[in-house]
Amino acid sequence: MPKRQKHKHQRAKGPPQPPHDLGPEAWRAHVEALLARGQTRDAVEAAKQCLKQAPGPEAEALAVEAYQARIQALMTSGMHQEARALAMLVSDRFPAAQARVAPFIRQSELAAGNFESLLAELSAATPSRRRELEAVLTRTLHDPAVLVDSTALPGDHPLKRTAMAVRDLFSAVTTGPLPDGALAALDEISRHSPLAPWKLLIRALDAFYRGADASVRANLDGIPPDSGPGRLVPVLRRLLGESKPTEEQSVAVALLLDKVSGGRTVIEGHLTQLTHALNVRDVRAALAAVQAVLPRLESAPSGLRLTFLATILHHWHRQNLPPPALMRVLSRNKRDPDLVRLMALTIERPDWSDALVLWDEYVTAAVAGGSLPAQGPALARVLLHMAALFPSDAEEVWEFFDVESEEDLQRQIRAGQLPACFDRGGLLERARQADPDPQVFGALVAHFSQRQPKRAEAEAEAWRRAHPQDLEPLLYLIRGAESRGAVRKALNLLAEAESINRVHPEVRQSRFRLLLAGAERRIKEGKLALALTDLDRLEQEPRAAEGDHRAYLLALRWVVARKAADAPTIAQLEQTLETTVGNPTLHHLILEAVAGSFAIEAPKPLGSPSQVEVIEGLARGFDLFRALNRRLSVPPALLAQAEKGLKTASVAQLYALCTGGLWVGHPALTYAASSQGLARDGSLMPRFLLARGQALKAATGIEARERAQQCLRAARELAGRARDMETVREAAAALQALSAEGWFNPWMWDSPAPSDSPATQEEIQRTINAERRRRATPRFVRGIEPRRRRQVKPARRRSMRGMFEDLFTWMEGTR
Amino acid sequence: MNPFTVLGLEETADDEAVRAAYLSAVRKSPPDRDPEGFRRIREAYEALRDHERRLALRLFGPPPLEHVEELLDAFPTERRYVGPGLWLNVLREGRR
Repeated sequence: MPKRQKHKHQRAKGPPQPPHDLGPEAWRAHVEALLARGQTRDAVEAAKQCLKQAPGPEAEALAVEAYQARIQALMTSGMHQEARALAMLVSDRFPAAQARVAPFIRQSELAAGNFESLLAELSAATPSRRRELEAVLTRTLHDPAVLVDSTALPGDHPLKRTAMAVRDLFSAVTTGPLPDGALAALDEISRHSPLAPWKLLIRALDAFYRGADASVRANLDGIPPDSGPGRLVPVLRRLLGESKPTEEQSVAVALLLDKVSGGRTVIEGHLTQLTHALNVRDVRAALAAVQAVLPRLESAPSGLRLTFLATILHHWHRQNLPPPALMRVLSRNKRDPDLVRLMALTIERPDWSDALVLWDEYVTAAVAGGSLPAQGPALARVLLHMAALFPSDAEEVWEFFDVESEEDLQRQIRAGQLPACFDRGGLLERARQADPDPQVFGALVAHFSQRQPKRAEAEAEAWRRAHPQDLEPLLYLIRGAESRGAVRKALNLLAEAESINRVHPEVRQSRFRLLLAGAERRIKEGKLALALTDLDRLEQEPRAAEGDHRAYLLALRWVVARKAADAPTIAQLEQTLETTVGNPTLHHLILEAVAGSFAIEAPKPLGSPSQVEVIEGLARGFDLFRALNRRLSVPPALLAQAEKGLKTASVAQLYALCTGGLWVGHPALTYAASSQGLARDGSLMPRFLLARGQALKAATGIEARERAQQCLRAARELAGRARDMETVREAAAALQALSAEGWFNPWMWDSPAPSDSPATQEEIQRTINAERRRRATPRFVRGIEPRRRRQVKPARRRSMRGMFEDLFTWMEGTR
Repeated sequence: MNPFTVLGLEETADDEAVRAAYLSAVRKSPPDRDPEGFRRIREAYEALRDHERRLALRLFGPPPLEHVEELLDAFPTERRYVGPGLWLNVLREGRR
């Protein structure tokens, strides 16, 4: 109902009609009923009418009663002048009631700031009356200057002299720091004095500005809440941070809090409101609180504004509130680069494609606005980050865009059906143009190695030219040459790598491996004598004595004998190999692998191996083939058998199975073996944590990624303490890759610690304990296997921009 | 909290400015007197100590705060002298 109507309605209703021709008792009952309902004005009118109709002492008493109630009501509502005037009137009209009305007159005078009559009485009062008056003064004195300025008190009155000191000290303590001993004058004030609460207040204020909070509290505790200065007690407690902001605070209190705290308490109030509004998803209230906070941030450092923006966007998104309303409040400029960037960071976890579009918007706006250079490392970092947002499984990307292949995707991008920012390779190329940094080259090589191996090698060559001292491109090129059988080229590249870093583990292993590749090539070419010469030379290499290398060389001799159809040598070599290896599983794995690579038939297995033999053979096989970089095909049944028997495996075998599982693209074995490894304390703990982290890195889901990060951080820290630098290096590289895949880490809702911060002992132990407790195996992404052609599915609407449709519509409004 | 804010720096600060701000902040909050403050300062310094980290923070930060009210920590706890007037106003208001 509109106010005016409501008012009219009330007026129309009017006061209860007075009864006609009533007796005194009925009048009293009527007036008392009105007073009971709080209708003091009507009660006074009724009492006046009663007095007019039936004058007499009873009617007078009733009128005085009604007037008293009315005066009290006026005082309660702060109308002290009106109350005093009415009390004076009653006192004049009803002299018999003067004594009853006098306290009201006094009270209203004091409330109106007029202490003169009280002080006049005080200066001449008997001791008992003085105590009464001082008690009143203690409750009502709101400013010591009242006593100082009083003409009712003589100039030499002790109360006046003390009040002068209190006034001056109160002024001084609220104006600036006081020198030591400045409050000595307060010591003279007795605890019975009406100024005693003021003494405590001044001491509390002095302690407050000195930062002695305990002393502030001690003094505040002594101030009676109903005393004059008592009203400042909750205000000071609020300034100490003891209480939360309330909505009921008066204008004067709000202003004082704001000025004294430099705006902090006001901000706190707005932030409390904002939190509440977000919790109850009250968009209007939340926007109002955001609008109230924003001006306060204008004078703050820019970082604070950005933190606020990031925080509000994060919580807004978490509460699933509509983004455009917030964006409108946060910035008039729809393409404010910071806002777009923070929005991209906020949504990239649930929606990588929308985030990519926003990042693209950011790059365009920031470059145009000059906040992001058009060339250089900053732009490259953003583009790398964008490239890292794509799902690691290319097929997932194709599935998302409803395309059949990379070519299909590129075609759609070229035709303008999809934005260019969905070309991952294109983003990386732009990054390289912006800053030909090793990290960018590494990402380019990794991107193309799965899609266009030649292009990947070209990028590695470019990397090598740009950074001649980088080992990584050389190692990549060596591996490429080796896989193509270009052993001579690989050896040349190796010589170059050795000149850069001879002790690098991969460099050290490459020589034996490449010589081995040369021998294998000779066998394939049918140059058996030369192959045997190569094998003789390999026997002399120091690495031939390591692990089961000699067994592999024996297996190659066996291949040569098979090619030469030299039956006695074949039988003899099979016998020697069996004795040398001493494990039927490994024996079969080696012969099957070499037979497979030379297209000859492998001999039948030596029988059904025991669980222990499977574990040992597989562990040794992984170590051997991994060191030689030779393909090892492990039958799934054998992997399953190994997974079942892990409890019997030694720690060394578990570690070999961990690394081997990753190497053959079977992270589930790594995960299972690391479970057993983590259950056993020992020096290999960092390595099991590393393996665990690497296995989890290959698992699907954010939780697995977060666990991976925790494991890798713990592995890096523990390995660092044990001086296991290889593990440190691998863990750091895995963390970097994880970080590059998801720069959004700090934005995760249950934000894990940053990947570059060292893990604390508590974190390490927590991680180990948590992983030990894990029972369920995560879901792993498929290994790199020949991709089957996907079946054509019916066209479906892309989810791109799905949940942020209205945001994009709003942003596009200016186009 | 945003490390730039903790050290009171602008995003354009260079190595020298970061180091100077760090040392100045540590003088105000030494580890023996204010271990919590020192921890925050140290973390902020670690996040800003080289160009690469500052760049990452500038491009991919600042991280959002877990609770909106944590933003208050960025505002210094001030105790300004405002004279007796504002204090007395509260008391005068109270008497009504």
